[in-house]
Amino acid sequence: MTRIFNILFILTFIFLTGCDDDFLDRSPMDKIDGEAMFSDPEGVKVYMANLYYQLPIEDFTYFRDGFNFNPSDPNNGGYLAAMTTDEAVHSGWSDMVRDWDFTWWEPAFELIRDINILGEEIPKLEISDLEKEKLRGEVAFLRAFAYYGLAKRYGGVPIIAELQVYDGNLEALKVPRSTEKETWDFVLNQCDIASEMLPSSWAEGQRRGTKWAALALKSRAALHAASVAKYWNDAPLSGEAVNQGLVGMDASEADRYYEECIEASAELINNGGFGLYGPNPSTPEEAAANYQEIFVNPNSVPEEAIFIKGFAIPGTNTGHNYDIWYVPNQLANGWPHPGRMNPTLELVDSYESYSQPGQSFPIVTTQDGSINDYSGFDPGKDYLRFDDPSEIFKGKDARLWATAVLPGTSFKGTEIIIQAGLVKPNGEAIIETKDSYSHNGVTYHTFGAPDWPQYSGFDTYGENMTRTGFSFKKFLNSDEPVVPSWNQSTTDWIEFRYPEILLNYAEAVLESNYSQDNAMSKAESYLNSIRKRAGHTTDISLTLENVLRERKVELAFENKRYWDLVRRREYHKIFDNSTKHALLPLLDLRVDPPQYIFVRKEVSRHPNRTFLPKRYYKPIPGIGTNELVQNPQF
Amino acid sequence: MKTIIKIFIPILMFLVYSCELDNYDGPDAVIHGAIIDADTDELIEQDVINGTEIEYLEHGYETPATQYMVIKNDGTYRNNLMFSGTYTIQPVRGNFVPIDPIEVEVSGVTELDFEVQPYIRLKDVVIEKEGSSIVASFRLEQTVSNNVAKIGLFGHPEAHVGASVRTMNVERSINGVVDPETEFTLEWSIPDNPSADKMFFRVGALIDAPEAKYNYAPARKLAL
Repeated sequence: MTRIFNILFILTFIFLTGCDDDFLDRSPMDKIDGEAMFSDPEGVKVYMANLYYQLPIEDFTYFRDGFNFNPSDPNNGGYLAAMTTDEAVHSGWSDMVRDWDFTWWEPAFELIRDINILGEEIPKLEISDLEKEKLRGEVAFLRAFAYYGLAKRYGGVPIIAELQVYDGNLEALKVPRSTEKETWDFVLNQCDIASEMLPSSWAEGQRRGTKWAALALKSRAALHAASVAKYWNDAPLSGEAVNQGLVGMDASEADRYYEECIEASAELINNGGFGLYGPNPSTPEEAAANYQEIFVNPNSVPEEAIFIKGFAIPGTNTGHNYDIWYVPNQLANGWPHPGRMNPTLELVDSYESYSQPGQSFPIVTTQDGSINDYSGFDPGKDYLRFDDPSEIFKGKDARLWATAVLPGTSFKGTEIIIQAGLVKPNGEAIIETKDSYSHNGVTYHTFGAPDWPQYSGFDTYGENMTRTGFSFKKFLNSDEPVVPSWNQSTTDWIEFRYPEILLNYAEAVLESNYSQDNAMSKAESYLNSIRKRAGHTTDISLTLENVLRERKVELAFENKRYWDLVRRREYHKIFDNSTKHALLPLLDLRVDPPQYIFVRKEVSRHPNRTFLPKRYYKPIPGIGTNELVQNPQF
Repeated sequence: MKTIIKIFIPILMFLVYSCELDNYDGPDAVIHGAIIDADTDELIEQDVINGTEIEYLEHGYETPATQYMVIKNDGTYRNNLMFSGTYTIQPVRGNFVPIDPIEVEVSGVTELDFEVQPYIRLKDVVIEKEGSSIVASFRLEQTVSNNVAKIGLFGHPEAHVGASVRTMNVERSINGVVDPETEFTLEWSIPDNPSADKMFFRVGALIDAPEAKYNYAPARKLAL
């Protein structure tokens, strides 16, 4: 024992004294310095790819933990933004937005620093002036995107447009917050620079910012800013941040921002050469197939995709998990956690019907047509009966069929069974309980089949079944079985899609009552062109209600709804001690042969939720050291 | 092995022991009080959850964090874990006309009432069970010229009932200035199988002002 100590003691001395003086001056072998990186145009490309990767693109890997959430163990329950809105519920969880959900602060300023490093290097590069201008345009585009991601979360933020250098004076690095208005103006200004300098497309079809992507970003950002200015008073806040204008804008600013949105959108619509994919379908079925194709295979719709983020290699951080999280339980293929995304009845109700264009078409379940009764099954009520559960959705917008898996429809060649229970011949019902009942020699199962792998709804098993009556389809591969492990999906993500720009234009025109340049009739034709692509044949008029409904259904699950509710200050009105709703298909044994009836009901195990107005902004971390003014009530 | 353990135990004890006990004193003061109607001297009913809050800042720090207290339904508040010192204190986002912050010296047991002007007073409140319904009637006396946004009847098995703590609610939009003589009636039909035998019911009215909260009358317990 003593000997070992002696030896260790001596060795320790050798190790501690064995350093050369220049030990710390050696350059690492696995890294290259800035000069080497930027002296080679290929190095610039690599650096650029990293910047694009860091952009706040709310794609398949955007969860409440933040962006690019696909590390080696991406197990976060698949809980995402749509589930905190009225679009969907999670099969097991019912959380509302929490303080630090969907925040993006430190990674934002890391990205901004990386962008500024590139900005400093551009003049020193040995490339043509034309190439330099393109790079400068890209820097402006990336900067605008980053600040857009910050402004919609935090309001006014510190604007750092030049590389900060630490010279021992820490205080000099602390930049105070600009006002919300200044921040939005900065975003729009950077978009302008980008759209002037960037090319219309890149050689070799690289997925880099273009003139059109910059205009699309401007369209989106200006609409957000305009809405905040216009609707601030629907949920005003108070406190130091408000007094200094760090959050909130005056209503008089709204029209200016709407106009910016209209101009950017019009430029893209008129000169971008974009259009809708499959604009004139002959049947609703064709419309549904076209619509599905856009999201499953974005590269086949170049006319519609303005800016794409690619996913590439399965099993790495360029793969994602939508297919395994959200595929209906029956198609889990051995994966233990499917079925997480359950579209709500609210969303399903919103889709128009071909027979009654221009209005939401709620699912009617009873003879009396009442749609506001959520009190559950009542044997005394006169329910509509159907042989096939999907019949009740007949005539609804093709996009519903392409967005959600409806009870009794087929997906990947399998009939998806979603059944909530059965009604015995005596009128007694067994609902959302696993059970069976024999009648006339036939055994009927409450969930439509005897064992859990054979159905996809209402059982609490593993939180793998839908509890709203609907499963998810949009974005999901509709041919191949899922690969039951992490990060296996490589569907690309369309960040800017042409219909969004059309709808931005229409909303901005209506909200600001803009009449120049024949804007109203243009907006109406844009609105109807999107509907026509979805199989509608009757035009509807340009009203705010029509535009907002169209936006809700066309852009469903594209992570737009959350921000629409925020910018239009609708979140706290929709979620005021409110719950979400489900449609329960029941097999009714009171008739022979048995038929399906449907019950409109509150989602089970889902407590009421309230959105507090303070959550229109996110809390800023680290105010003890960065000395920024905190947002109200955090 | 034994030697190693013998060596490690003293080291471990040394490491553990070397921590000093927290050398700061604990909270030593109490603040309590109420939100009081300056005209009638009555307590102003509040919400515990998502209701009026009291913000306070402790002096003597460079960048003090804002701290919050909630207020009980009856309009009183109490914090038994305060540190003695000087505070800037202000009830905010309430159901009364905003008041300025007050500087207060807290030591021992400090009582601090806030005399304010409630946006709305609920008068002649009657909440009764009539047949298979709960019927509430009341009049509103508004003290400001803003519109009354809405009125509501809320029910919950617990006494903390209010707009945020409820299992039932009947709300009606008003969006106008109300006549103090107008009687409002809200009715809730009790379902066939109510979730509780007895419930607390409370009526309220919300003014249309930034960040305003409901004004209430005291809750009433009724058997269903």
